[in-house]
Amino acid sequence: MKLSENWLREWINPDWDTQTLAEELSLAGLEVDGIDGVVAEFTNVVVGKVVSVEKHPDANKLNITTVDVGELEPLQIVCGAKNVDAGILVCCAKVGAVLPGNFKIKAAKLCGVDSNGMLCGTTEIGLADNGVDGLYCLPSDAPIGMDIRQYLDLDDKVIDVDLTPNRADCLSVEGIARDISAISGLKVSQPFTNNVEVIKNGECSQLVSVNEPVACPKYLGCMVINFDSSAKTPLWMKRRLERSSVTPKNLIVDVTNYVLIELGQPMHAYDADKLTGNLQVRFAHDREKMITFDGKELKLQKKSLVIADDAGVIALAGIMGGLSTAVSSDTKNIFFECANFNSSVITGRARQYGLHTDSSHRFERGVDSFLPERAMERALDLFTKVAGGKVSKIIAEVSENNLYKPKEIQLRPERITKLLGVVIADKRVEEIFNSLNFTINKNSTGWGMIAPTYRYDMEIEADLIEEIGRVFGYNNLPEIDIEAPLRLPKVTESAQDLYLIKKHLASQGFNEIITYSFVEEGFQYKLMPSISAINLKNPISDDMKSMRTTLFPGLLNTIAYNQNRQQVALKLFEAGLVFINQDDTLDNLVQEPMLSGAMVGNLEVSNWAQKNKMVDFYDLKAQVEAILTISDLIDEVSFVPQNISIFHPGQSAAIIKNGEQIGSLGQLHPALVKDAGVAGKVFMFDLKQSAILAIKVPLAVAISKFPAVQRDLAFIVEQDLPVQKLIDTLQNYPSSILKTIEIFDVYQGDGLEKNKKSIAISFRIQHETRTLQDEEIDNLMLNLINLAEETVFAELKYEYKIGK
Amino acid sequence: MQQQLQQIIAKATKALKPVVELDLLDEIRVQYLGKKGELTLMMRILGKLSNEERPKAGQIINEAKQKVQNLLNDKKVQLEMAVLEKQLTEESVDVTLPGRSITVGGLHPVTRTLRRIEEIFFKAGFDIETGPEIEDDWHNFEALNIPKTHPARAMHDTFYFDESTVLRTHTSGVQIRAMEKKDGPMRIIAPGRVYRHDSDQTHTPMFHQVEGLILEKNASFAQLRTLIIDFLRKFFEDDDLKVRFRPSYFPFTEPSAEVDIATNLFGDGRWIEVLGCGMVHPNVLKNVDVDAEKYTGLAFGLGVERLAMLRYGVTDLRQFFENDLRFLKQFK
Repeated sequence: MKLSENWLREWINPDWDTQTLAEELSLAGLEVDGIDGVVAEFTNVVVGKVVSVEKHPDANKLNITTVDVGELEPLQIVCGAKNVDAGILVCCAKVGAVLPGNFKIKAAKLCGVDSNGMLCGTTEIGLADNGVDGLYCLPSDAPIGMDIRQYLDLDDKVIDVDLTPNRADCLSVEGIARDISAISGLKVSQPFTNNVEVIKNGECSQLVSVNEPVACPKYLGCMVINFDSSAKTPLWMKRRLERSSVTPKNLIVDVTNYVLIELGQPMHAYDADKLTGNLQVRFAHDREKMITFDGKELKLQKKSLVIADDAGVIALAGIMGGLSTAVSSDTKNIFFECANFNSSVITGRARQYGLHTDSSHRFERGVDSFLPERAMERALDLFTKVAGGKVSKIIAEVSENNLYKPKEIQLRPERITKLLGVVIADKRVEEIFNSLNFTINKNSTGWGMIAPTYRYDMEIEADLIEEIGRVFGYNNLPEIDIEAPLRLPKVTESAQDLYLIKKHLASQGFNEIITYSFVEEGFQYKLMPSISAINLKNPISDDMKSMRTTLFPGLLNTIAYNQNRQQVALKLFEAGLVFINQDDTLDNLVQEPMLSGAMVGNLEVSNWAQKNKMVDFYDLKAQVEAILTISDLIDEVSFVPQNISIFHPGQSAAIIKNGEQIGSLGQLHPALVKDAGVAGKVFMFDLKQSAILAIKVPLAVAISKFPAVQRDLAFIVEQDLPVQKLIDTLQNYPSSILKTIEIFDVYQGDGLEKNKKSIAISFRIQHETRTLQDEEIDNLMLNLINLAEETVFAELKYEYKIGK
Repeated sequence: MQQQLQQIIAKATKALKPVVELDLLDEIRVQYLGKKGELTLMMRILGKLSNEERPKAGQIINEAKQKVQNLLNDKKVQLEMAVLEKQLTEESVDVTLPGRSITVGGLHPVTRTLRRIEEIFFKAGFDIETGPEIEDDWHNFEALNIPKTHPARAMHDTFYFDESTVLRTHTSGVQIRAMEKKDGPMRIIAPGRVYRHDSDQTHTPMFHQVEGLILEKNASFAQLRTLIIDFLRKFFEDDDLKVRFRPSYFPFTEPSAEVDIATNLFGDGRWIEVLGCGMVHPNVLKNVDVDAEKYTGLAFGLGVERLAMLRYGVTDLRQFFENDLRFLKQFK
């Protein structure tokens, strides 16, 4: 909420400068978001009266004026404005004035005539353009010679208070003044007295019946007739409204808005001549129609409280008035409404219709049920002071039982100490609640506290204790360490820390990225059509609609983004959840933590020593294997060729552990490169975090003291045989002395048949408890050779020599 | 004989002088000290000498042999030095050239910040909890004392999937999950992604929070304040960091506070809000069957990006999620 500082200071004027005032408000829980001047700095501009206007002898667009600025002699000023005229009051910048933009006014000669100042338009003194081509004409009662900043109250500041939803009581100048009173010890002084009492006579011709007293416990109405419908909103009122970000419209609306800002009571004014028959406060009929004053047609729902006349709904209670009975510049008779609506019937309604008004904002949070009387008087007073008129008696439909009355809340001194951690003397507690206008009933266990009727946020003891803390000052609390029993933390060795894997990837040249969890639906579908995603009902935009089912879209978008910025060697990874919908119910939604990475371009940033090597499948696989090794999984997983839609069919593998897929890797399918907007071959992997973060606690085995023997074999197999098949075959051979099998060469080409390849394998053989005999080594090797031959039709490239 | 020996030594000295190869050195050694070397042969004279003369002469010959051997040794060292010298010259490289490139990447600044926060609390005995990002209405709102009609729901700008399923708007729901799982005293933090339907210069629709909860028998608001100040000073490694508490409002805490720190990031020492905190609202404790008279809860929720910005001087929030490598590479 924005408000004028000077307006506030009319209600309470502590000896604080603006900055301190803002600070004190913030520290009391009314956070000041900003303080703004109302206009740019300028000096030496005063109210002047144009005494005479003569044509300039040598310039036909200029006039020579004399301007009374309250000094002994009037000033001679040459002026080019079209609307200059003898008798008007204007803003006169005297010699020595500095206007916004550091524009200095000096004595000058204009076409040979002395000019001692400048007459100004609105924009020349930093005000909003008032649409007049020429001088800013001031009202005839402007005091001649008065500084314009003082006259227009331009040294005022706008304070922007960001109120929390519980502090609806501060959604007014008076409300904020009340809180300042509590923290400063000063009293609030209402800067006006109402005196419309004298003219309130005559019956109110408008009848009102409240059918829903729970929803509307108080309804005040008043008729004003025979007023001066040409009366304009006074400048000071407009100014204050503008400084509260309310656009002035006409006197009637401006008065109700003024009361809203000043006291916090929403009001409504109907054009009395447009009302048909009696008014009713009732719930809407289902699908009943209403056109709001700004022309929007609403189809109402049953639970909406409305004001209706015999012709239909004329207002959505506490939210917005209707077009059919809205006031205008032609309005001759007004019916003012000032009511209290129960917050529970207003809450959520405005939003339901896509509306949010100053009125609904306040009623949703709760408005003082004893305020309507004061507010109505204030509005009538403000209105009649400007426009006169005959004011009827105020009609009042009040259901006492349904008015919000705060209940008594018990406050215990020991609870204050326990919650705040500081002992507050009973006397101080009572002082604090006195300053907050609570009713205090002392009793045997402490106090029964009754909040003032504008405090809807006081419900439980903790609420009261917060008030004590707030007024006492949070920053005055002592510093006390938490005392808790010393317990050692659980350190689970079998749970790998993801951070360590991230650190590892970083040391391998990967940069971690964090991308949004929602992605473009179409793009994701193209990448992974087989996984069904769930979509947000209210996305920020269409390209952030689908929850990601894979981390690949984020990686690819980031690659494209960086490639477009001349970053070509990219290694990226991201860790985060993916969201997989198993059916349409959301009940079986899986939120799976994943780790994914991508590599594209040069393996290393090109340098003097190494030729550029482009990343390929095996660079990617090495990275994946390294992660699996860190997680002690490398011996438990297999890489199975599998056609995964996002990947190149010939460079695509699933990572399988115990029959379950824990990840995948491959080259981005060439057909998707264009859709992804990337350049070059992108290699990507993903791994389930659940798999790589569950590790075994190591169990050491004694190292054999006996020498290991190495034997090498080269097998010739069909070119399309996956090497893993050969390895698996050999590994499956039951032997306690065969320790490791390692591929040290793969060859295709000269010396081999066209569709063959040779795979060179090194076997390490060792016994735990004795030196091996040549014979048992040879037996093992011959058995392996037979097995390879039988299972995958592998032939030996070179004959096996016994004992070698 | 003396003279003869002197001549041999002189000859050997002369022969050694021009030698530049180690192989040649060996030939010279053989010529003088080998089985048939000139000095070795001199020993034969000893047999012709008398018993008195023999020891003296033997000593003289041995001395000569030693002298030649020394000459050879010196020359050998000299030649070896020369060879090494040559090798060293040949092998010298331009040490100013950069090494063969090993690119080192880095962690995202948000991860780095999260880790720092986690470490500070973990070392003080806090457990680290996580929860789902697609959350149900109960854990994100209802249990936290935010009923459907509550105006605070409007503050949250929630992304939703259906009536009762949302993207979590805060990590506070993890509090609920933790208290549902376990009774009694606890100290936890819950880091993670959260989502708000808000996107402009100072808001991103996704950001990170760390929620903290302490449930103890005698925990007070003053202690919460002390903990928060302690945390902020440790996080920023600044014992003089200015911290202020402002009363605020969260439906799930009472009393509630927002916490500002004074920062010079913008050159003016302004107050910047860094977190919200408070004492767990009795209604929340009731919702998870914790006796509010027995236990008090201290809770806080801090914005990770905000802390990262202040710590690392990042002035535009959106940079965190643009993932421009030129930005990311500044964080190793």
